[in-house]
Amino acid sequence: MNILYVLIPLALLLLGGAVWAFFWAVSSGQFDDLDTPAVRVVMDDDEKPPENPAP
Amino acid sequence: MSAGVCFHCALPVDRLGEFQVEIAGELKSVCCPGCKAVAELIRDTGMTNYYAMRESAQPGAGRPADDAAEWQIYDRDDMFTAFAHADGDSAEATIYVGGMYCAACSWLIETTLARLDGIVSAEVSPVTHRLRVRWHIAQLRLGQILKSLADLGYDPQPLAPESATRPEVAEQRAALKRLLVASIGMMQVMMFAVGLYAGDFQGMDVTMQRFLRVVSFVVTTPVVFYAARPFFAGAWRGIISRMPGMDLPVSIAIAAAYIGSVYAMLTNGPAVWFDSVVMFVFFLTLGRFLEMRARHRSIDRSTALSTVLPNTVTRIDGEEQLVIPASHLVTGDLLLVRPGESIPADGFLTEGMTMVDEALLTGEAEPRPKSINDSLIAGSINLDGVIRMRVEKTGGDTTLGIISRMSERARYARPAFVQLADRIASYVVIAILVIAAVVASVWYVAAPDRAFVITLSVLVVTCPCALALATPAAFAAAGTRLSELHLLVTDGNAIEALSKATRVLFDKTGTLTRGVPVIVSTRIFDESFEESQCLRIAAALETVSTHPIASAFRVQDNESVATDQRVAVGDGVTGVIDGQRWRLGRFDYVARDTTAAARRLQTTSVYLGTDAGVIARFDLDDEIRPGVAATLQQLKGLGLTPGLVSGDSKEPVSRVAATLGISDYHYGCTPEDKLEIIRSAQQAGNTVIMVGDGINDAPVLAGANASVAPVHGALLAQASADVIMLGESLEPIVRGVLTARKTMRIVKQNLAWAIVYNAAALPLAALGYVPPWAAAIGMSASSLIVVLNALRLSGYGAP
Repeated sequence: MNILYVLIPLALLLLGGAVWAFFWAVSSGQFDDLDTPAVRVVMDDDEKPPENPAP
Repeated sequence: MSAGVCFHCALPVDRLGEFQVEIAGELKSVCCPGCKAVAELIRDTGMTNYYAMRESAQPGAGRPADDAAEWQIYDRDDMFTAFAHADGDSAEATIYVGGMYCAACSWLIETTLARLDGIVSAEVSPVTHRLRVRWHIAQLRLGQILKSLADLGYDPQPLAPESATRPEVAEQRAALKRLLVASIGMMQVMMFAVGLYAGDFQGMDVTMQRFLRVVSFVVTTPVVFYAARPFFAGAWRGIISRMPGMDLPVSIAIAAAYIGSVYAMLTNGPAVWFDSVVMFVFFLTLGRFLEMRARHRSIDRSTALSTVLPNTVTRIDGEEQLVIPASHLVTGDLLLVRPGESIPADGFLTEGMTMVDEALLTGEAEPRPKSINDSLIAGSINLDGVIRMRVEKTGGDTTLGIISRMSERARYARPAFVQLADRIASYVVIAILVIAAVVASVWYVAAPDRAFVITLSVLVVTCPCALALATPAAFAAAGTRLSELHLLVTDGNAIEALSKATRVLFDKTGTLTRGVPVIVSTRIFDESFEESQCLRIAAALETVSTHPIASAFRVQDNESVATDQRVAVGDGVTGVIDGQRWRLGRFDYVARDTTAAARRLQTTSVYLGTDAGVIARFDLDDEIRPGVAATLQQLKGLGLTPGLVSGDSKEPVSRVAATLGISDYHYGCTPEDKLEIIRSAQQAGNTVIMVGDGINDAPVLAGANASVAPVHGALLAQASADVIMLGESLEPIVRGVLTARKTMRIVKQNLAWAIVYNAAALPLAALGYVPPWAAAIGMSASSLIVVLNALRLSGYGAP
């Protein structure tokens, strides 16, 4: 069980890294829009444009 | 899609089959060549999916502007520096996209832009209607991007790079960070807590137990000091203002449990409660986050307002005329404003004379004459003369800016119902603190070692969270649902009034009617002319006019062409057709009779004539909005009596009332009369909804129990209305009443549940049957039930 004395602090370090990364992502505006990404995945162009698109 | 409605923009089609587009093998009717071009563009680029994916079309949305703006101006360098931010060989700009209304629009815009050469990225937020686009400077210019948006039927408006982050974005970012710290902290500490509880049952090494307590402490500390900081700040504000909200017992519980746990950790006490602390903070933070999201969801009206101002203005520097970005305007600039352009700033007229449409601010459809030294308001539209103006106030200092700030404030203010809930909560808080003190002293005498734990449980389990959340959660969910129904609620109290309403009073012009004149009858004085011929001539003459009346005469593909057209400001238009000089306008202008008697003739008639005399008269009237009769029928079905109050004269009011089957109508009303009608209805025990759009309606709207203003009406009316209605239809009112009734039902369920829960949990906790972790779960679960019950409002199948 002594391995826990190493693993738990290691886990906390990783956690700190994850929180730092998330804070950076929030501050750089990646989470400003919480609505569009949810629907964006549903809308993809599964319809190709015609061979000769009108000018 | 019913016949008679444009396939693309959902406005009524005047003549079916005049313009048609073939989409997916079917012929669809559209209303105008503009919509036809856009629909064909969407089809030919293979994006027909847009029509399948969009929500029900909002009338008027996506219809291209009649006169395409000069997008090339944005290719110039000074425009580029004003609106874009260059970064190496690429540039970024934020563009407000007017006319988009759902996620399918953002898909259409993103996909179309991605096909342009030189676009690096394009992202549209359907919530804020902002497009963030990045492109290669060498391959593409800003003007081309704007033009491709305009080709799709949208109204793009480049925004100046924001100097500071908008307040709601900053608020959301901070809240997200807190939520993450609270949730991750909760998960970690719960994990350690499972180890500790297992140790209690199976026996555990004392060093390991101390170690797990210390790591729990390490993770809990940022949760308490960072994520829970708003609660401490709120409690402190409550103490200072002597109005303790529910933040106070929350803070006491958090602080007590945290300090008690730290003490137990240092002294090797029997138990720590770090798990209760983090769970409590997490659920509270989640609740606050959801409330904030609901508050932000209403449409970004400040930007919507700024779109009524032009992007570019023509400044006069000595002899030179310079087109500059409107954001570069300063006080004292001399500007040239052409007919059809909107006035970019507050100021006064220095040269020329014109008619100005101030409907946006005053709701008054009748244009106002302006001559030298008359004041001009930003956002009004210059109708017929080329004028010069001196700028006095720009941007946020203009009347328009001040009014838009007034209506904006409602979004950040806590509505009265939340304040009321807070006041009730503050009494409950004092009661809880007293009960906790009694419980603590009784147990201190009976069993001193259990006193702290039991007092903590009492504080946590009786937290009036569910009680305090019961009303706001339901109202927030209702606000979201109503905004999906095209109703923006600016005052939450309106929801209660809507649910109880027994009378609906409508204003006539601009509310029941479109506020745009149409020709209702034509009278020919000269037998040698036919009606269709007169209409064609009138239409040809009106092509130069931007006056609202001109839209009544507009026809497609007119074979008559007028030359040498001139606008006589305030009087009418003149032009030459087939060698004959024609005049169209007021009687005195057409008949060249300047006697006072002729001047007094009613203005709802327009005359057509030549030098030889008057030939025809067109009577204009307001057209009743489509679907109004059905809406009134539905309102009657819900037990609401519709009524009509108008400042107009008897004849048009009674005609509209008869057409719509309204038996209760009042004409010739001053605002005071209207207010009096509302008062007497209220005294008779009615709850009154007032629907009106004019500036004169502002005090009337304030006097009603709930007031609704259409978004196309006067800004002042909107500023004093509880609910702003988007779109052309009145139908949202019906769904609004249904949603409000459901909301009040849910509020009652929530309050009943919260009271039953607290009444049941308190004795159990006081008797020592509830450990702190169970109290935290109980408190969170009761709050969660309240929130989930409220969310039923925003779900599918809601009215």
